[in-house]
Amino acid sequence: MIFRKILVNSAEAIVENKLRSALTMLGMIIGVMAVILLVSVGTGAKRYITSEFESMGTNVIMVQPGKTDKKNSMGPPVSSSKGKLTLADVEALLKKSQTLSAVSGVMFGAGVVKTENATNNINIFGANDQFNQIFNMTISEGDFFTKEDEDSGRRVAVIGHNIKESLFGSGTALGKLIKVNESEHRVVGIIKATGDKLGFNVDDIVFIPTKSSLRLFNTDRLFGVRASAKSRSGMDDAVAELTAILKERHNGEEDFTIVTQVTMMESMNTILNMLTYALAAIAFISMLVGGIGIMNIMLVSVTERTREIGIRRAVGARRSDILKQFMIEAVVISVSGGLLGIAISMLITYTLHFFLPGFDMRPPFWILPPAFLMSFFTGIVFGVWPARKAAHIQTIDALRYE
Amino acid sequence: MALIDLKNIHKHFNMGEENIHALNNINLSINEGEFTSIVGTSGSGKSTLMNIIGLLDLPSEGQYFLDGVNTTLMTDDDLSKYRNQKIGFVFQSFNLLPKASALKNVEMPMQYASTYNKDISDGMIRKMALETLDKVGLSSRVHHLPNELSGGQRQRVAIARALVNNPKIILADEPTGALDSKTSEEILTLFKELNAQGTTVIIVTHDSGIANRCRRVLSMSDGLMKDSVQVKI
Repeated sequence: MIFRKILVNSAEAIVENKLRSALTMLGMIIGVMAVILLVSVGTGAKRYITSEFESMGTNVIMVQPGKTDKKNSMGPPVSSSKGKLTLADVEALLKKSQTLSAVSGVMFGAGVVKTENATNNINIFGANDQFNQIFNMTISEGDFFTKEDEDSGRRVAVIGHNIKESLFGSGTALGKLIKVNESEHRVVGIIKATGDKLGFNVDDIVFIPTKSSLRLFNTDRLFGVRASAKSRSGMDDAVAELTAILKERHNGEEDFTIVTQVTMMESMNTILNMLTYALAAIAFISMLVGGIGIMNIMLVSVTERTREIGIRRAVGARRSDILKQFMIEAVVISVSGGLLGIAISMLITYTLHFFLPGFDMRPPFWILPPAFLMSFFTGIVFGVWPARKAAHIQTIDALRYE
Repeated sequence: MALIDLKNIHKHFNMGEENIHALNNINLSINEGEFTSIVGTSGSGKSTLMNIIGLLDLPSEGQYFLDGVNTTLMTDDDLSKYRNQKIGFVFQSFNLLPKASALKNVEMPMQYASTYNKDISDGMIRKMALETLDKVGLSSRVHHLPNELSGGQRQRVAIARALVNNPKIILADEPTGALDSKTSEEILTLFKELNAQGTTVIIVTHDSGIANRCRRVLSMSDGLMKDSVQVKI
């Protein structure tokens, strides 16, 4: 029979068996939805994290003390005993470097901040006056540290939005004294509410000059050095120069690790791609389940319609006609299920995005053709066996089948 | 030449350990335009004979010439084509597709015919199906589903389906078995009319009342056949 006619026939057969067809389609709908939604989650997460990274500034170079041989690692643990970065290193970089626009030594540690009225557990971040050039935070009141603040190790602090709120409420904070780990600091600046910036909640951080932070933690070992290249294209030169300067100061030994935006993005991408693949694998399994569902129902359908097959064969249908009929039915079911699955997942993600613009899990368009093709091929793969079974039923037995 | 020509037909079945000789050396010629009945008790071999005549089953031995062609050498596809073009089946339980309208049921054999003969268009199929339904007196029931029709009407749909491809032979297996006597009479009259227009009709039945209305009766018993021609009907 001509293809078009079988298509019409199978569409009729599907409509005639609404419930059964709907249940079969459901497997495919869920399978395709799983594929699209899980891939969307994967790429959405990747998009989110990538944009977070880029908001940090793309020229950032991070130097951590210690060295691991592994490429692309996120840096060694902080407590690595080998290698040490000090303020002298920072000064050398500031003095000699041609390619860096800003350099700051940084300290990081937990602490307590107190006023007469309130206490707050916070993170203390030591940084110099150039730090804000590297990380681009917006100061809402006052200013970031000056060079004098840093050089003379003044006890001044720039505080995050949440800390200001919890310590001072709606009152003024600028110029007030706060106790950072029992040492008095004067508030000179307040950072605008920023939220999470890569694991740190900037709003919960108290920034103090590097020198005072070293004094506070009673050490000369920096947590690390942060620098920014003059231009994005100058990254490689900046990294080379920075390495050379530090190596010279460290007796030719490269006892530090440089992490740039690029290497961080690369390792992050590796993780995120793995995540996407893992999700895709899960989605593939649900597709498989959907396919097996189709096969099940088609096998039931073949048994149920044994007599119909007998009748069709008696009035002149060839084996190939029966085969085509059941194959096309399976494909029509799976493809309709696939299209519905695509439509529903688009509807869900776009609706979510409409009401929660921050929650962007809209599927990437490249997933749509493969999702559609997968539903098509699932129909074929899992339709073959039932269709072959149908085609090889003996006509006389089929006509007598009750 | 005879339309149906069976030569030394044997049919064996294996039922577990037991070998059943369902047809034992059947020789039979039926000419075009005959009205024949095959009678016999259940297990006599009459259904097997009908299945072989209808190309639904193949003989174990012997040769079957249908319209001059040796069907024992045909492929499965050829047999399908021959069933489609030469034979119309009518069954005791009607065997209509339950979810298709009377019209769709009648169109079905022609849909398959159109795959063998590309000249058959959808328009022709529709026209022939409607004409044939009219011929069996069902022009007002065209869009009804089988379960919306009475037994007699269903059998008329089945007959229309058997007729739609203009077959040479109508093979009816207990066509009145599920019908009351009045309706049976109507169906039988319809077969008589079709026969008068030239179609060869073969009715398989265990009802001697129907067999007695046929000019030729083939009595089956234990795989053997007795051929008798009645002068008086």
